[in-house]
This record gives sequence, structure tokens and C-alpha cells, in this order.
Amino acid sequence: MTLKTVGKSIIRVDAYSKVTGKALYPQDIYLDDMLYAKTLRSKVPHANIKIDTREAERQEGVVRIFTHKDVPLNEHGVVLKDHNVFAADKVRQIGAPIAFVVGESEEACINGMNKIKVEYEELPGVFDPLEAMKEGSPKVHGQSNIIYHYKLRCGDIEEGFKNCVAIAENTYTTHMQDHAFLQPEAGISYMEEDGTLVVAVATQYPHYDREEIARTLKLEEEKVKVINTNVGGAFGAREDITIQIHLALAALTLNRPVKVVFGREESFQAHSKRHPMVMKYKTGADKDGYLQAMEAEIVGDSGAYCSWAMNVLRKAGVHATGPYHIPNVKVDSYAVYTNNPFTGAMRGFGATQIPNAAEQQMDILAEKLGISPFEIRQKNIFKTGSKTATGQVLLESVPLDRCLEELVKRYDEFLKLKNVVDETIEEGVL
Amino acid sequence: MKKRGVGLGVSFYGTGYGNGFPDVSNAEVQLLEGGKVGIFVGATEVGQGAKTAMIQIGAEALNMDHKDIVLVSEDTSQMMDSGTAAATRQTYNTGNAVKIACENFNKRLFDLAKVELGLNSTAGLVAQDGDIYLGIFPQKRISYKDLSEKYKDDIIRVVGSFTAQTVKMDDETGQGAPYWPYTFNACMVLVEVDTNTGRVELLKAAFAQDVGRAVNPSLVKGQMDGGFAMSLGYTLFEDLALENGVMKNRKFSKYLLPTSMDMIDVENIIIEDPESTAPYGAKGIGEPVTIPIGPAILNAIYDASGVRIFNLPVTPEKLMKALRESEESEAI
Repeated sequence: MTLKTVGKSIIRVDAYSKVTGKALYPQDIYLDDMLYAKTLRSKVPHANIKIDTREAERQEGVVRIFTHKDVPLNEHGVVLKDHNVFAADKVRQIGAPIAFVVGESEEACINGMNKIKVEYEELPGVFDPLEAMKEGSPKVHGQSNIIYHYKLRCGDIEEGFKNCVAIAENTYTTHMQDHAFLQPEAGISYMEEDGTLVVAVATQYPHYDREEIARTLKLEEEKVKVINTNVGGAFGAREDITIQIHLALAALTLNRPVKVVFGREESFQAHSKRHPMVMKYKTGADKDGYLQAMEAEIVGDSGAYCSWAMNVLRKAGVHATGPYHIPNVKVDSYAVYTNNPFTGAMRGFGATQIPNAAEQQMDILAEKLGISPFEIRQKNIFKTGSKTATGQVLLESVPLDRCLEELVKRYDEFLKLKNVVDETIEEGVL
Repeated sequence: MKKRGVGLGVSFYGTGYGNGFPDVSNAEVQLLEGGKVGIFVGATEVGQGAKTAMIQIGAEALNMDHKDIVLVSEDTSQMMDSGTAAATRQTYNTGNAVKIACENFNKRLFDLAKVELGLNSTAGLVAQDGDIYLGIFPQKRISYKDLSEKYKDDIIRVVGSFTAQTVKMDDETGQGAPYWPYTFNACMVLVEVDTNTGRVELLKAAFAQDVGRAVNPSLVKGQMDGGFAMSLGYTLFEDLALENGVMKNRKFSKYLLPTSMDMIDVENIIIEDPESTAPYGAKGIGEPVTIPIGPAILNAIYDASGVRIFNLPVTPEKLMKALRESEESEAI
């Protein structure tokens, strides 16, 4: 196939506006008669709360304070509707939004926010997902903290391990990661003359935002318009709702433009994180270096809300084998609520955590078998026609062997640099 | 003492919503005033290059200069839903929708050209650089500009839709085809471990990424560099110091991100093996480029120091502790 445009490194169409600073991000937008807003957030991880906004409302420059009472349907979420637009009687994580203070200036909003009285009746929290799975643990939502359990069963692992001469058994953990995009959350909302409610934000999925705004505020979707400004990085953290409904509610109620801009610390508190995982692995290979069996138990900490937990732990479970043919596989992955900051989508979506375990297992097995890290991988990788542990046939475009070959070609060069005499390294010459 | 080691990491990554969930992308293509073509599609530009990639796929399908295409992806009132800019799905899913919409657009214009040129059939019509002409008699020709003037009261706008194929997994056995297509990669790094400080420094890296087909090789390499840096930060630096639900490190002065001083010049190798169900064979790579780097670093740390790190991130404190424990156990 001869292609004319696909395959060419044309200059990206948004390059010029971005490198010259002309590209508009939501915090760059100013409208006449615009109000500002600040979000009051929970300071404790688990508590019953009572809110008193009366004094705050009397502060000069404060126009309105929105709480759960103002939201027609106080729930949202990408899978389960377990997020509140504003916490009503309970907070489940630090940073959960409680009130949205709208005022004539940012100072007025801060002043108002400081005068809101929140009475916290603290509850025992749970911060370790393994603890959270136990029966007697504090519960974050409902009767159980276990949101999801994915089971993968292929072959017979007991039989498989019998054929193994090398077995690696280890537990690995990964931590929470922030997306740390450069542009913290910001947005602006306003009413158009025909009654259309407009929310301009930097988002990954404007149609989803529109749907949630319309659903929670009980509006027709056609009466809501989401404008996606330039997006200063996302990486998964702009999938859940953060400011969208707050802004929409304020503009709709006050019929004036409303703007909110987060600082970095608030951004850390407002959006999701990468799921920390506990990954218990047992992997075995036969005397010829072929993988025969793998068993894994993976527990992901979803924090206070579900967000994408099911999909993330499902993806972790499906990818638990790594890109290897293993005839006997048993995987159990779990998503669990805790009172930690909620976790959700982040680049790699559960498949990023897994190889930190699975790939170290491969090297451990290689060492036990006395073969090289390349050899154990070349023997076991997926090729065209391979079947994954879920029974899926990889019919085409499986060039992992070619990826590995490229590295094999460069290995000697790497080895040469590795084996540079120690003295030279110590002197810091290289 | 400084010790060096080489490590490998390989991975696969299934793209799309997956597990049988309807994964639908829509795109609309419209003939604009002056003969330019508008693509209206909800493919959010999050920095990954979606706008550029969609324009390139459109230009290929329409057989015209990419500069004559205007892409609108910012306003829900102007475009249909193309799903989220996530799950590494825009190039494959929405790319397919754009390609289909452009092909439908060509068919529509051929029908109009048949009438305008007084032909009996659309057979043999060719679209090229904003003209439609008959291959066997190129004098029979009409430009998009002329068509846009003739049909200015009758908006020419067509839709293209693509739904990805996945099969929901069985609840008890997990058997099914949860993602399609899969993307593959492999990474090799050389690191230097300072056994006096516990610091790990990257010296060299080669990173091979399967892309099906690269729509825009520079953008692919940009994604690979970005994914590499993100994984480097994840593996070695970024620590929220979470304790009882409190993120102690919630500003950039404490939450350490890799900087240009930590990042190295990665040798990015693009591996092409076109996927027949993908637009011009192109698979997404936004997420997979973040995956194999961390494991390669971990394996290289072991190769250098003989210490396995089971708990991320590999902060200097953690590595020093592990090195000391390993020395002590050797002494016994």
C-alpha cells in the first residue's frame, strides 16, 4: 500500500499555538461580570459531617454557597454512581468536596470558605486494602469493601507446577502515583442567550461530562454544551468529574459566568491516582525453560470511590501473565475500597503495575534455570497464532519477537558500557 | 561504589474499553465553503497528537492535502460522541470512524459528480487533491470548490461509525476476547547504582514499540519519550508518602518528578506490522509506552547490585536498606 500522508512526520496542527503561548487553557478565559469560586474539601478521611454555611454566606463578596442540598441528583461516577457532587452527611476521603463558594473575587471566596463550619464526627478509617477485605474492617460504602473480583482460569495449575523445575514465588507492591499534568484543573461556565448551559473545561471526554452535568442537574442533554479547551496533559486524571457539575450548577443558578482554578495542592486532592497494587505471584518453568504454570493474586486499592476500579483490576488480571504463553493459569484480582484518595484511570490502567512483578519473575526464573533473560523471553513470548490465557487467538500484528531482536542486536554495546572498568566509573569519567 | 547493570522489560497491552462493552466512535465529514473538508469528531487532543493523527488519516482516505482539512473536536454541540480519549483507543477506534466517514464522503461526492459531469456511473471516478475526475477521461473533472458552491444550500455532511470487536469474559473462568488489538513492546536499559547513596542513574536505553503502522513517526517517538519519563518517575522518584489517607507530598517541591537532568536520550525503535482491522494498520500506543521501562530498570538494578526490589518506588533510602540487608545476609 502506498501512502501519501499516513507515515509522514507532519508538524502537529496544535504546535504553533502551543509553542507561542496563543493556545487558550481554561484559566486564560475571562468573561464580563464573572464570578469566582473555591471548593471546600474534607480535612479528614472518614467522618460523619454537619455543615453550617450561615455565617459564611454573610461575608462581603460571597454571592452563594452551594452544598449537597442544591444538587437535584447528588451522585456521579464513570461506572458506579458512588461519588457525591458534594458530601452530604459523610466524607470518605480527604479532599472530598463539601461546598462550592461563589463570590465576586477569589479573596471573598476564601474568606467565605474559612467561615463555613464543618462538624466532623470522625469514624475509624481503613487504609490498607488487605485489611479492608477482612470482615471486621470499617466499611467505606455499604456492607463490603470488595468492589470487584476477576477470575481467570486456564488449564490446571497444580498439574502445571508438577512439571516445573524452577519456581519463583514472591509478593510485589506498587504505590500510588499522581498524573502530575502541568495544567491543574480549571474551568468556566456561563449561560448562552437561548438558555444553553456552557461549561468550558479541559477534559478527556466532553460527551461524558455533558451527560453527567445533565443527569445530576436534571436537564436535557441538548441544553448543555461542553467546550473542551486546550488540555494541559491528562493521563487518565481528566476522566472523572471534578469541577464540571459544580461550575454548571453555579452558572445555571446565578445566571452569571463562574470560574474556578485549582492550585497544585488542590489538584492533587481532587483527581484520581494510579491504583497501588499488592501482587502475589507464583510462576514456574520446566527444565527446558518453558513456562508451565502461573498463579497470581492481585489486590488493587480503589480508595474511597470506585471510578474505573473494576476495569483497572480486570485489565490487571488479563495482563497478569505478561506477553507469554502459559498453559496453566489462575488469577484472582480484586478491587477494594479504602479511605485513601480515590484511584482511577492512569496511563496503562492496571497493566502498568503488573510487569513490575511479572517481569522480575521472568528474570528470577531465568537465573534459576541458568539461561539468559533474553532466552527465557524468546522461548515464551506470544507469536502470531498464540493463544492468551483468556483463550483469545492473536491472529496478526504480534511483532514482539522483532521488538526483542532489536534489543538483542544492541546488547553487546550495552554490555561493553556495563563492563567499563570499575575505576573509571568511580572516578566519574563516564 | 558505582555498579552497572543491564535489564529487560517486555509487555503487551490490550486497547479499547474491552470486555464486550460497546466501544463506538463516530465521525462526520462535511464539505466546507471554498472546497475545504471539515472533520467533526470527538477525539480529544490531550497532547497525544489526536488532532494531527485524525487529520492524517482523513487526508489519506480523501486523497488530499492535510492542510485542506479542518478538524473540529472541541464542542459537544458540533460533533458526535467518539468515546473517551483514553484506553489507547483513539487512533484505532476513532481513526477507523474517520476513515469510514471519509470513504462515505467520497461516495457521496461521486454520486454528485456523476450528475454534475453527466456520467452514467460513478465507476472509475477518482478523488484527488480536492478534485473529482474520471480516470479514463480526466477532462471530466469537478472541484470540491465548485461542488461546495453548487450545493451551498444543501449541506453535504456524512457520518462514519466504527464499533470495536471484543467478547465479554466468562464470570467464572475469565475466558473471552477482552481486548483487541494488542500492542507489544520491549525495553532495555543500562543503569548505574551508587551503593554509597542508593541513587540509580540511567545511562542508556533502547525501546522497541510495535505500532502496527506509525501514522506520524515523530509523534510516536514523542509518546515513547514521554512514556519513558513517566515510568522513570514512577519507578524511582514519585512518592506521595501516603499515611492514614494523607498525601504528605502533594506539591512539586516534595513530589519528585523526573526532570531533563534525569531523562536520557532514549533510542526509540518503531516496529511496524500493520493490523488489518486498523486504519492503515495503525494501532494505539499512548499507554503501552509507559509499561516496560519500570521492569527493565528493576531488572537492571538487580543485575548491577544483586538486590531485588519488590516494593516501588526505588527511593535511595529503600535501595540503601536493601543493599545493607543483602550485605548482612552475605556476611552470615
